[in-house]
Amino acid sequence: MGRPPKRVTRASLLKHGACAAGVALVGVPALVDAASSPEQDARVLKLLLLVEYTESAFYAEALKRGGLKGELREFAQQVGDHEKAHLSMLKSVVEEAPAEPEHDFGDATQNGDAFADAAARLEDLAVAAYNGQAANVTAEVFVAAARIVSVEARHAAWIRSIAGRDPAPQTTDEPRTEAQVRAGLKDLGVRL
Amino acid sequence: MNELDLAQFDRDGALEEARGGLSRAGFLTAAGAAALLALASDAHAAGISKNDVSVLNYALSLEYLQAAFYTESERSKALKGRAAEAATQVGAVERAHVKAFRALLGRKAIARPRFDFQGVTEDPKKFLKTAVAFEDLAVEAYKGQAPRLQSKQVLAAALGIHTVEARHAAWMRYLNGIVPAASAFDNPRPKKEIDRIVRATGFVAQKPHMTARRRPRYTG
Repeated sequence: MGRPPKRVTRASLLKHGACAAGVALVGVPALVDAASSPEQDARVLKLLLLVEYTESAFYAEALKRGGLKGELREFAQQVGDHEKAHLSMLKSVVEEAPAEPEHDFGDATQNGDAFADAAARLEDLAVAAYNGQAANVTAEVFVAAARIVSVEARHAAWIRSIAGRDPAPQTTDEPRTEAQVRAGLKDLGVRL
Repeated sequence: MNELDLAQFDRDGALEEARGGLSRAGFLTAAGAAALLALASDAHAAGISKNDVSVLNYALSLEYLQAAFYTESERSKALKGRAAEAATQVGAVERAHVKAFRALLGRKAIARPRFDFQGVTEDPKKFLKTAVAFEDLAVEAYKGQAPRLQSKQVLAAALGIHTVEARHAAWMRYLNGIVPAASAFDNPRPKKEIDRIVRATGFVAQKPHMTARRRPRYTG
């Protein structure tokens, strides 16, 4: 095909402040091994984009339908803004973003209880998706993904707190594989 | 006000949240701890580089601090309701992290320092403020150090803990009535800054040293 592999450029990540907090990339390449490559990065970023597409669409639809009240609406507004920012950051570092998948979230974007339950599943899934891929990517993508994953964990604990569920039920968050993440997204109504 | 408080107040606008009900703290699952220890023993068997030992000991020093803080708060019996439940559960998790790191490091683990929390663990308001600051700091510290890890197994274990610390941060913020996720991106913080902030609290009363015995002296 003669096409160059899709690349994540260091400049594109720097532009987004991946190193703004003073974490120099010097010394980071310790993480890079034979399994990490620009091609692998592109594959991982596509998966993470699916997660962010789903989150963005989920909160946007919930806010548009207007069924959420009080704390749940505040949560959806703030978290929806975060997911949009994550989506635009990831989109800017892949050369070719995959198309946004279709979805049917059903009652979960209208009814408060169904929303809280789906949002908790979605945020837990996002944490597990990022954690599952973090050791597979090059240093540049790692630093960017690390800035997002803890925010997803905060969202998960936040919605669990609102719903009266345990915000942090495990001593360590278990990673999930690409196949598990795709299955989890399908369960939430994403057409993959 | 110490520097730990300042670091926290600089970052969030003390946004008031409508407070919902947390029914009860869940139970710490044995599975989570077991998974971490399994990862730990696998990595231990594989041998850990000098670099990773130093990163892990740094993580251990922060886990010691957190575990001691929650354990002392629990024992003080000054906390009530949801804050007390959270302290009990989070304390158990931080102790599990300590245990896992110690298992991983074996004889290379640094010793537990002595702490003096200066009454913070006996005052519910100060407890929550300090808990928020500690958890946010832990997230920043793990994020700053994770890229330095050479072993992928150790990295995977550290990342699983990193997000649990973020959950704790959000949980403590929620209990404190401040927004659990204030920004779309969490930033790492360099070790030097973390050290400076921790030192400024005065909570660490005695510096840790190696547990490994010194070379025996000739006494004959």
